[in-house]
Amino acid sequence: MSLERPTDRTDTVGVTEEGLDYDALADLLGDRVVSREQHHHTEAFTIRPDEVQDVLFALRDQAGFDHCSNVTAQEYENRFETIYHLKKYADPTQELSVVVPTSKDNPVSESAEPVYRTADWHEREAYDLVGIQYEGHPDMRRILLPETWKGHPMGLDYNQEKPQIVTLEAHANPLEDDEHDAGADTMYLNIGPHHPATHGVLHIETVLDGEQVAHVEPDIGYLHRCEEQMAQQGTYRHEIMPYPDRWDYVSAGILNEWAYARTAEELTDLDVPDYAQVIRTMSAELCRIAAHMLAVGTFALDVYGEFTATFMYAFRDREVVENILEDLTGQRLMFNYLRLGGVAWDLPEPREAFFEKIRDFLDGLPHKLDEYHDLLTSNEIFQLRCANTGVLDAETAKQYGATGPVARASGVDYDIRRDDPYGYYPELDWDVVTAEEGDNYARVLCRLQEVEESARIIDQCVDLLEDWPEDDREIQSNVPRTLRPDDDAEIYRAVEGAKGELGIYIRSDGTDKPARFKIRSPAFSNLQTLPELAVGEYVPDLIASLASLDIVLGEVDR
Amino acid sequence: MSVSEIVFQAGNATNGSGAANATNASAAGGGQTFPEILSGLLGLGPNPDPGLQFLFAVVGATLIAVLFLTIAAVGGIWGKRKITAAFTDRIAVNRVGPFGLLIIVADAVRLLSKEVIIPDSVDRPAFDIAPMVLPFSALLGFAVIPLGSGLQLADPETGFVFVFAASSLASLGLLMSGYSSNNKYSFLGGLRALAQNLAYEIPLVVTGASVVLFTGTLKLSEVVAVQSQPLLTLGGLTIPSWFAFVNPFAFVLFLIANLAEVGRNPFDTPEAPGELVAGYMTEYSGAYFVLLYLGEFLHIFLGGAIIATLFLGGPAGPVLPGLVWMVIKILAVYLFTQWMRSAMPRVRIDQMIEIGWKGLLVMSFANLVLTAILVGVIA
Repeated sequence: MSLERPTDRTDTVGVTEEGLDYDALADLLGDRVVSREQHHHTEAFTIRPDEVQDVLFALRDQAGFDHCSNVTAQEYENRFETIYHLKKYADPTQELSVVVPTSKDNPVSESAEPVYRTADWHEREAYDLVGIQYEGHPDMRRILLPETWKGHPMGLDYNQEKPQIVTLEAHANPLEDDEHDAGADTMYLNIGPHHPATHGVLHIETVLDGEQVAHVEPDIGYLHRCEEQMAQQGTYRHEIMPYPDRWDYVSAGILNEWAYARTAEELTDLDVPDYAQVIRTMSAELCRIAAHMLAVGTFALDVYGEFTATFMYAFRDREVVENILEDLTGQRLMFNYLRLGGVAWDLPEPREAFFEKIRDFLDGLPHKLDEYHDLLTSNEIFQLRCANTGVLDAETAKQYGATGPVARASGVDYDIRRDDPYGYYPELDWDVVTAEEGDNYARVLCRLQEVEESARIIDQCVDLLEDWPEDDREIQSNVPRTLRPDDDAEIYRAVEGAKGELGIYIRSDGTDKPARFKIRSPAFSNLQTLPELAVGEYVPDLIASLASLDIVLGEVDR
Repeated sequence: MSVSEIVFQAGNATNGSGAANATNASAAGGGQTFPEILSGLLGLGPNPDPGLQFLFAVVGATLIAVLFLTIAAVGGIWGKRKITAAFTDRIAVNRVGPFGLLIIVADAVRLLSKEVIIPDSVDRPAFDIAPMVLPFSALLGFAVIPLGSGLQLADPETGFVFVFAASSLASLGLLMSGYSSNNKYSFLGGLRALAQNLAYEIPLVVTGASVVLFTGTLKLSEVVAVQSQPLLTLGGLTIPSWFAFVNPFAFVLFLIANLAEVGRNPFDTPEAPGELVAGYMTEYSGAYFVLLYLGEFLHIFLGGAIIATLFLGGPAGPVLPGLVWMVIKILAVYLFTQWMRSAMPRVRIDQMIEIGWKGLLVMSFANLVLTAILVGVIA
């Protein structure tokens, strides 16, 4: 619970005082490394497609890369490529990319699923959108698109013009291979896609044994909007920034924008003035409060029933944040406020009134949080319902690449704002909230406490902004009209979004548009843990666990 | 007055002089049922021919049904929104008519003009009968409740048993609707409803029985009459011996068990929106849905009426007529359920069954035994 990084660095290969020693890592892997190349911030080792598990096991067990942050798949003119972006939960600045090229005529690569459970969904997505097959994957089928889809839309030879008409009759009947046979006592239940508790359009295939959950399989993709393809068709400078608002669309917009801003700024080597960083930090934390309020409110909705006061209280308080953000950005949800190299405009005039409004909110917040603790965390029935249900232990959380409040509530002390600093966070005084229990209760408690921490950050930002000299208020650095990063530059950067590590991978091809734009969505990885949380629990706990993961389908499906 | 004197009253009642007590209680309508009063007013004497008696009973039943359906319409459509809004910092309906009251008309028209969708392969007769069983079982219960101002349809010796029997019929309706809907959510909801009602009906009746130990009669008009005796006088203010004051423990037990019986938070697991979509109501639409919805509110009102009769002195109260007091008490209980709904989390189904069988049942029997000892020792 402090800004100090955990100092527990055991004798893992490649760890030195100055940072990661990639030569030592390459020695560890020996001749399994075919070639090495430099990405921004990290090195990439190219390996053969039939040695993926060997390499990743070695890196995980001997070099300490316990976090498979993201899996990016892409197609070049002459090859397919899968990139595993590895990190360490203890120190995410220690990164390594593992590149696995596969040939065009036989795009088969070994699956990383036995090493990192999170690779399950990531590789399914890679298969779905790009068309790479993963050998040894337990369940190699489409994930975002319907089973009946023809072709792989992010492949180079995909015909975008050809309509894909999938009639209802052509859909597989989910009841056809029902696990309910005559002798079994189980019942197959479709939760969603139209169900009050799925927080969007999520379909959970559930098998119930009485009231208990025997099997859970989240089925996603109902809200897939080709966000990655859309970003690939926009220019770096202006046309991509509005999209991130639409990923985690429940008012976490600026946090998402920052993910793109951070990646693109480092890719094109842009500076951001301090003043703009402070504004970014403040507005991002406002967004985090709004997003956490919604998370807590909807959790209450699922545990209490539809007429709960907590839900309305959460919305009432979120409304104040929305108003502040509206004053600042002109928008309530789709802010589009950040620009590469800074922010769109300065704080609204009169500045005093704006600061006053924020201070009023911050002053009232402790009292309001007490109300939540009264209604939620100190309520005995709530404790009865939430404590020790949906338990996710730290190791499992890491295996699934869980981040954000979900991981922190399981005792994984991981927050990119502290561990891989950006913005103005390192200059400010705040704490990372963690809990050990990993149950539904801990996740709610973590979010409520993170709201407090965000308030502390905002308070300090307002102090800074109030005293900022008037002639030093530079909101944007000098940004070229057209941004063209170097040909074949690759970068993967992440920020701490509302739900966890929101990362973006960009590969440039020398034009003003990205050649590959991959989004690492925290909710996508977090949702994967649902079976771990829910199997063996009762139906109500399945619903509560789902709510405590705080997924937003816009971010899961992209 | 003290407990001993109440018990003394109870002793009187068992000795057959309970009727005298009943006549003392003006609020109970002088011990006459509504059809008797009606025939008396028409100069036909207490025992006209059976045809006329039946006619009067129908008139009375109509009156009571209309009264409670009206309260259900006002309380269920308008009141519920206003109450919930007040608890959750909102304004609720305020556009249609004064205080938004005309929303009742608008909603009634909207609900009734919706198509009744009958899903494929539902179990037809059961699917159609269930929405009727629910409200009618609740209305049936009102027949023996002394509503004050002479409005009591019948006053059988076994009124206490009858009212619980009638309200328990609802479980049958819930199970029928859940089982016949051909929907897994409805099915789960129906089963939950049954499990819940089984678990909570017993503590409910047993706790109610502790009141009977005091009164020594199952006749509801006499239960009310016994409560009209003063318990103690505090500076000119006479506190009547309502059983809520005499035995607050039983009152609280009964209130909790009743929450489960009518399926409100923290015990609204059969419906459990968010888990089971709408539980047993999932497949119902149009007029069928209205019936189920009304039935739910009528059940809350019946629960309120039973609580008022057994613990809150029935229709007794100063200045206002008995019927008004009765309605106020019923609505107070209704307000309580809505309050719980806004503030309380829902317990899980297994926890709920546990609370019912291991907690409330034990406590209700403990209460019964203690009451029996108390009554036995003092009398």
